[in-house]
Amino acid sequence: MKVEKKVEKYARKKGWKVKARLEDGILYLEGEVPSYKEYVEIGRYAGKQKNVEGVVNRLKYKGKKEVKRKKGGNELIGEADVVIIGGGVTGCMIARELSKYKLDIILVEKAEDVACGATKANNAMVHTGIGEKMGTLKQKLCVEGHKMYEELSKQLDFPYEKNGMWIILTKDSFADMPIPSFLGNFIARFIIPRIILRRAKKLGIPMHIVKRKELLKEEPNVTSRALIAVYSPTYGVTSPYLFTIALAENAIDNGVKIMLETEVVDMITEGEEVKEVVTDKGRIKARYVINAAGIYADMVAEMAGAREYTIHPKKGSTLLFDKDYGNYIKHSMTILKFPRMEHYKGGGAMLTFERNIQLGPTLMEVEDREDTSVTAAEIKQIFSRFSLLLPNLPRKGVIAYFAGLRAATFTEDFIIRRAKKVRNFIHVAGIQSPGLAAAPAVAKMVVGLLKESGLEMVEKKDFNPYRKASVVIRELSVEERQKMVEKDARYGKVVCRCENVTEGEIVDAIHGKIGARNIDAIKRRTRAGMGRCQGSFCLPHVAKIISRETGIPLEEIKKNGNGSNLFIGKAKCLLEEENEN
Amino acid sequence: MKTDVAIIGGGPAGLAAAIEAKKHAKVTLIERNEELGGILQQCIHHGFGNFIFGEALTGPEYAEHFIEQMEGIDVMLNTTVLEIDKNKRMLLSSPDGVFEMEAKAIILAMGCRERTRTQIFIPGTRPAGIYTAGTAQRLINIEGVMLGKHVVILGSGDVGLIMARRFTLEGAKVEGVYEIMPKPGGLTRNIVQCLYDFDIPLHLSHTIVEIVGKRRVEGVFVAKVDENFKPIEETKRFVPCDTLILAVGLIPENELTKKIGIELDDITAGPVVDEGMETSIEGIFACGNVVHVHDLVDDVSFSAIIAGREAAKYANGRKIKRRKIKVKAGENVRYVVPQIINGRDMEEITFYFRVKKEMENVVTRLLVDGEVRKEKRELIVKPPEMVRLKVKGDLVMNANSISIEVKKVA
Ligand SMILES: Cc1cc2nc3c(=O)[nH]c(=O)nc-3n(C[C@H](O)[C@H](O)[C@H](O)COP(=O)(O)OP(=O)(O)OC[C@H]3O[C@@H](n4cnc5c(N)ncnc54)[C@H](O)[C@@H]3O)c2cc1C
Ligand SMILES: Cc1cc2nc3c(=O)[nH]c(=O)nc-3n(C[C@H](O)[C@H](O)[C@H](O)COP(=O)(O)OP(=O)(O)OC[C@H]3O[C@@H](n4cnc5c(N)ncnc54)[C@H](O)[C@@H]3O)c2cc1C
Repeated sequence: MKVEKKVEKYARKKGWKVKARLEDGILYLEGEVPSYKEYVEIGRYAGKQKNVEGVVNRLKYKGKKEVKRKKGGNELIGEADVVIIGGGVTGCMIARELSKYKLDIILVEKAEDVACGATKANNAMVHTGIGEKMGTLKQKLCVEGHKMYEELSKQLDFPYEKNGMWIILTKDSFADMPIPSFLGNFIARFIIPRIILRRAKKLGIPMHIVKRKELLKEEPNVTSRALIAVYSPTYGVTSPYLFTIALAENAIDNGVKIMLETEVVDMITEGEEVKEVVTDKGRIKARYVINAAGIYADMVAEMAGAREYTIHPKKGSTLLFDKDYGNYIKHSMTILKFPRMEHYKGGGAMLTFERNIQLGPTLMEVEDREDTSVTAAEIKQIFSRFSLLLPNLPRKGVIAYFAGLRAATFTEDFIIRRAKKVRNFIHVAGIQSPGLAAAPAVAKMVVGLLKESGLEMVEKKDFNPYRKASVVIRELSVEERQKMVEKDARYGKVVCRCENVTEGEIVDAIHGKIGARNIDAIKRRTRAGMGRCQGSFCLPHVAKIISRETGIPLEEIKKNGNGSNLFIGKAKCLLEEENEN
Repeated sequence: MKTDVAIIGGGPAGLAAAIEAKKHAKVTLIERNEELGGILQQCIHHGFGNFIFGEALTGPEYAEHFIEQMEGIDVMLNTTVLEIDKNKRMLLSSPDGVFEMEAKAIILAMGCRERTRTQIFIPGTRPAGIYTAGTAQRLINIEGVMLGKHVVILGSGDVGLIMARRFTLEGAKVEGVYEIMPKPGGLTRNIVQCLYDFDIPLHLSHTIVEIVGKRRVEGVFVAKVDENFKPIEETKRFVPCDTLILAVGLIPENELTKKIGIELDDITAGPVVDEGMETSIEGIFACGNVVHVHDLVDDVSFSAIIAGREAAKYANGRKIKRRKIKVKAGENVRYVVPQIINGRDMEEITFYFRVKKEMENVVTRLLVDGEVRKEKRELIVKPPEMVRLKVKGDLVMNANSISIEVKKVA
């Protein structure tokens, strides 16, 4: 049966009116379904069909919100060989890679800082690729990307460590499957580990089996229901925002122009070509456009007349534990549980670079592309799921929780290719996990696509691959610290008591290449406010330092972007207002 | 650098300890902020020192009484203690440098920090406009900024109540104070003076079940809770507001304490101390909110005087016996400080404790070796209000078992 018919039939059976059309590998869905849930259901069904490279889901349903586009500015604000849309890890990695060539490059980002999308709210794992579906593009790029991290972290001075990962099978692994427990345990102990090893071998990933006794000796807090583990010593962890900031700073050093608080709202096309990218700040003339807009990539593609997929956000929430529990586990770990949810690695207990345990993430389809709330149900779900792994990890250890949105398409794999009909537009979409791990390889692939589409790329002789991070005082020896304080007394004044961040480091963050202008930007760069008191203590100090260093009045300091003002004015401002009325 | 007694923290606890210790030894006081006084500097309301000075002073006034007596004490401001070790060496960081200091005795007086939204698991988004009460107080009273127009306060402890009044006086509308317990958490005088006098509604057995708002708080969902403190879904309702103040408890600030393995009390979250305020590591003392959260600063000052005196004696080489007799928390007693009696030669000892549940017409009593040795009548005892029982030192000096209990008067 033809794909269109198959999808239509599926819908008809459910009583929905859906028309499907396949063109150039893209399946377009039109019609109506009852609610967002069914919209996703049929989209996913369509995405699984053979020869479908993308699903554009235009189905209507009750309560569907149409996103209003901002108005574009008229002024010409730039001109570039390549315009990159999106300042997440994908966009910034591409910018840095392209800065090796003699090109004029502009990166536009709508937020007030780089790394504000999914890039700031993930689990920081540099996956090896073992957890991805075999044969997918994302797996290929993950395996390649992972290998590039070591070198990159040396060049760009950002945190990266191969901390390892346990894949653990327990007596609960098959408990929800309709098979007797002895059989489940048998499969868990003898079959699954071998399958994993075989795949690892094929992918060139070093892994080995660890028996229960050894595992529990290494990790005494892991459940005694554990049966066996497969260990991956090269699994890595980074800091996704420090990495992205490093990329952006190095790109700037090599001539890339980064425009923050600049949102792409439209594109001017001529024939099969984008001529100009229209932003809320003005127009940018572009020879090539790269779409790395994360959760909004489908809308950006639409502006170029190249909508070839629809994004359905999948939220993931994570609980973060106090560093006090940093030695509770030695390595990150995940529990394999069957049946496996589609397109979900299952999460686990993962150590950040600073040794905070992260428990999660969840997986939840959400309609709202800005919905990063953590629900009570998710918190409950995380505790119950991962108590199968670490049954005694105390709830009181949680210091923060956060959610990020995975920019999933209905075909679920990364979509990295030239647009079908627009000659100079390149999709880098559907970059859900392992988008962080894969980023270096994604950027290389984009270079290839640009060459293919006719952009002449000449390597720069004076490309500078190196970038130095600003000083992190708590990592220095007493003597080194003393030297820093002699240079600048502010390195002696501790501002964040939980993470021991000094005033000097905060000042550095404000005056960095991409200067921090708000509390969250400071937090990402220095960790001030990331500890157990969550900024209760340092917030007033940090706000004052930003104000002093930038001249922004204290009462106008923000938590992050527009509308996130911390204060409404000076003290007494409401009383004065009253008096005036 | 060397000193006899080093005091970490320049709040009321550190100040009183320093003044007392100075009478007998060389004292260095280390404070990370740019001024002395600790939390008091931001408490511009009246209500401090009723016991000690017989009048209700403001926080800064109360602090000033002590700060005036700091002469002869080596005060280091803007200086944070990063680490301490068992041999009483400390690593300090200040704009003048990073250096080590060695002391003969150390007094921990770091106060406490506030519990956050995460620690009580309020779901929802993470917008601007959520503040812990102490931070809000500092921002308004010291930094001179106003935080919002429509305020919801979670927690009816004293800090929450005082902030409800502060916001109202600043011209904001306090939409309500929500308290998960069936009884308010603060002192009765504060309920009257901070809420009733300003018509601020108090919703008992209520909690916040969700925070709404992307960039800035847009409101909260509140709900009534059942007897197990579980929110009742049908009672969920939306309260629009732009500011959420969390006054959901204080946690003694014991990061330094923990790192060197000083024994902590699970209930108070502070170090276990003896009647001389000495911790489980010889020569390291503790006083004030770092030991357990106090309602009244007067008690902080009293306990600090003991710590100052005993620490100075220790620094001067006095040896004591260590009998390590545990003080048991008996009927309707949640915890007692001091937790240990070593048998120091002290004229008086005050036991501070909190009850588990409210009771009227009770007698609080001290049992030594199974016998009642001291009794005191109280009209009412409540969990939020600390109870004191002062006894003669020789009553417990040679005891083999000690407990405190609260009994209904027949
Ligand atoms: C819960 C969770 C856990 C994860 N864990 C991992 C992990 O452990 N390891 C891993 O490898 N991956 C992980 N991922 C995936 C990883 O976070 C993403 O793949 C990666 O961050 C995607 O980066 P990006 O740059 O493509 O997208 P984003 O970071 O979202 O960046 C897109 C940017 O485009 C901007 N933008 C959008 N529209 C416009 C416009 N019109 N104009 C201008 N700018 C625009 C946005 O503001 C945004 O900054 C996780 C994801 C989630 C959600
Ligand atoms: C809002 C509010 C209202 C109150 N109202 C009243 C009232 O009406 N009446 C009343 O009697 N009591 C009241 N109290 C209680 C009283 O203020 C406290 O019990 C008292 O301040 C505790 O004193 P402290 O010295 O233990 O702690 P703090 O006052 O907190 O002082 C601790 C000091 O230690 C410093 N410090 C901590 N760690 C380090 C380190 N590593 N290095 C250097 N320095 C460090 C801190 O900066 C701080 O200055 C109120 C408290 C609050 C928060």
